[in-house]
Amino acid sequence: MNKAIKIFIPNETSANSVGAQYIYEVISKLINKNNVEIIRNSTWGAFWLEPYIEIEKEGIRRGVSYRNIDLSDLTTIEDFLIDFNEREPFDIQSIDFIKKQKRLVFSRIGHHDPLDIQCYKNTKGYKPLLNSLKIGPQETINAIKKSGLTGRGGAAFPTGIKMQTVFDQDSSIKYLACNADEGDGGTFSDRLVMESDPFSLIEGMTIAAYAVGASKGYIYLRSEYPLAKTFLLKAIEIAVENNFLGKNIQNSGFDFNIDLRIGAGSYVCGEETAMMESIEGRRGLVRSKPPLPAISGLFKKPTLINNVVTLATIPMLLDSDEDEFSKIGSNKSVGTMPFQLSGNIKHSGLIETRFDISLEELVRDFGSGTKSGNPIHAIQIGGPLGIYLSSSMLNTSLTIEALQELKGSIGHGGIIVFDNTVDMADQAKFAMEFCVKESCGKCTPCRIGSVRGVEIIDRLQKNKTSVNDAKLLNDLCETMESTSLCAMGGMTPNPIRSIIEFFPNELIQK
Amino acid sequence: MIMSTNLKKILSPFVDIKGGLMPALHAIQDHLGFISKDNISELAIAFNYSQAEIIDVITFYDDFRLEPIGKNIIKLCQAEACQSQNCKQLLSDVSSHFNLNLNETSSDLNITLKEVFCLGNCALGPSVMINDEVIGEATTKKIIGHLKNHKIQNNE
Repeated sequence: MNKAIKIFIPNETSANSVGAQYIYEVISKLINKNNVEIIRNSTWGAFWLEPYIEIEKEGIRRGVSYRNIDLSDLTTIEDFLIDFNEREPFDIQSIDFIKKQKRLVFSRIGHHDPLDIQCYKNTKGYKPLLNSLKIGPQETINAIKKSGLTGRGGAAFPTGIKMQTVFDQDSSIKYLACNADEGDGGTFSDRLVMESDPFSLIEGMTIAAYAVGASKGYIYLRSEYPLAKTFLLKAIEIAVENNFLGKNIQNSGFDFNIDLRIGAGSYVCGEETAMMESIEGRRGLVRSKPPLPAISGLFKKPTLINNVVTLATIPMLLDSDEDEFSKIGSNKSVGTMPFQLSGNIKHSGLIETRFDISLEELVRDFGSGTKSGNPIHAIQIGGPLGIYLSSSMLNTSLTIEALQELKGSIGHGGIIVFDNTVDMADQAKFAMEFCVKESCGKCTPCRIGSVRGVEIIDRLQKNKTSVNDAKLLNDLCETMESTSLCAMGGMTPNPIRSIIEFFPNELIQK
Repeated sequence: MIMSTNLKKILSPFVDIKGGLMPALHAIQDHLGFISKDNISELAIAFNYSQAEIIDVITFYDDFRLEPIGKNIIKLCQAEACQSQNCKQLLSDVSSHFNLNLNETSSDLNITLKEVFCLGNCALGPSVMINDEVIGEATTKKIIGHLKNHKIQNNE
């Protein structure tokens, strides 16, 4: 039975981190009427408003930000309802931050309880899987190829081509591995999928596995995401109960199971070959390629590896009614990109939009400037291996191609804003320090080069004009770039080079 | 060597699955707090690894530990988004408040201080994780409050 009053209190890491769980505990104790129910929905991704609590009454849903508000004086649920109404509730879908986005992959977040499979099905969920099971594996792969989807984990490789390679392997055992080791500082879109729309990931994995012929899937989830673990375990259980996982899925004859594996605090395990080593029960040492994982991957079998957002995007590409996704953008930058705006920014959160949005639009129109009120000094794009842009570069478009031209990468879509109190030499040093901590140790330029890098930058911080050290740093970057097996060593120089180029005299003075 | 029944029970779901060592190590820590020398030799037998290989895996990962650790693990995020929100200052404040350096455990085994690189709470930094709970816009006061009543304090 539908209750007359529904109170929506998000259950999501960021919302809980500023009090949503506390508010839930307070309000659930007050409820004594049977016409009021609490729904733990997911976040809307407008984090500066969290904890954003909504009430739905007579079909109208409005919400209020309960940031830093003490509710300990409330004694009845009526008290809360009065308090709520006094705070001028508004419809979050009418604010620019949400309205101006193009939410396709994240179309469901905020609306419902993410573990309510009926809600998922009511919003087009599992229709794509049924469609895929009907048209068969090759047609499914063709649809994904046609969509133009590229991997959202950072490398931007065409997803359909990768799937075709795995499909073409003659092997009775194949695997699917979902990379949920979202370790880049400033990123949380994978976490949001897993906590706020987990069935979209499970459905995407099921379609991908069916297409390439894998009957076993792994999700490699970082240990820093305990709430995502809870959501995934429950969602997998519900999917099994509803025959969307397990044997003979929806009477198709297709069997597929998902095993959740938890990482143990290693950044490099987000690199696909290190991830496979870790799943197999070893140190996360990077493997050399070839062979490509698509040919010989997990347990030496053909393996499709994609990150969470990529897999969660797949279902909508199989929805025969719409191809809204591929109509947006061009080249490799087709479809929408979930940018994650964070750091020193007033309106932080998830912004899913077209790729060719400018940095200016993102940080000014969506972000509304710095939290501190100081001028923006630097913006890092794409995680610890991403470049820093200066405040004079806000007209940069955020396409994969535009970032490549600047010798950077859109990476996983993390955008971190720094105000003018930042010390760019410190940021350059951090890039090397992070590599010292997180290098798997296999390649010498990464393992030892990063240590030397910290020392050189230390010296430069004392004497910016040292020609010798400037040259040495440049040589070191070149060596790391050209002789490291993976992006850890190969791209650690990116942020440093961008600081040298775009922030003259802040690390090196000429 | 005869494996203790307790450990056997902990390991049994993992010995026959592919790549079972990582989940087994997590399970031991969840149950016993850390991985002891005895556990290592027993793991080596169960998984048909050498003891050196088991230690090899354990020492690669930050989460695994060979010694007891505090009842409460406070992890302070030191990644870029939190850097822009003065996480270094917070680390130094928290460190002096508890009189602990990074990776140190208080003598009463109550608190261990650690750093972490990204909790995915970048929009609301600086972020701190206490055991399994994340605190956004963290301050020393919020951390102390959380430890006191295991509830996120809503008020500054």
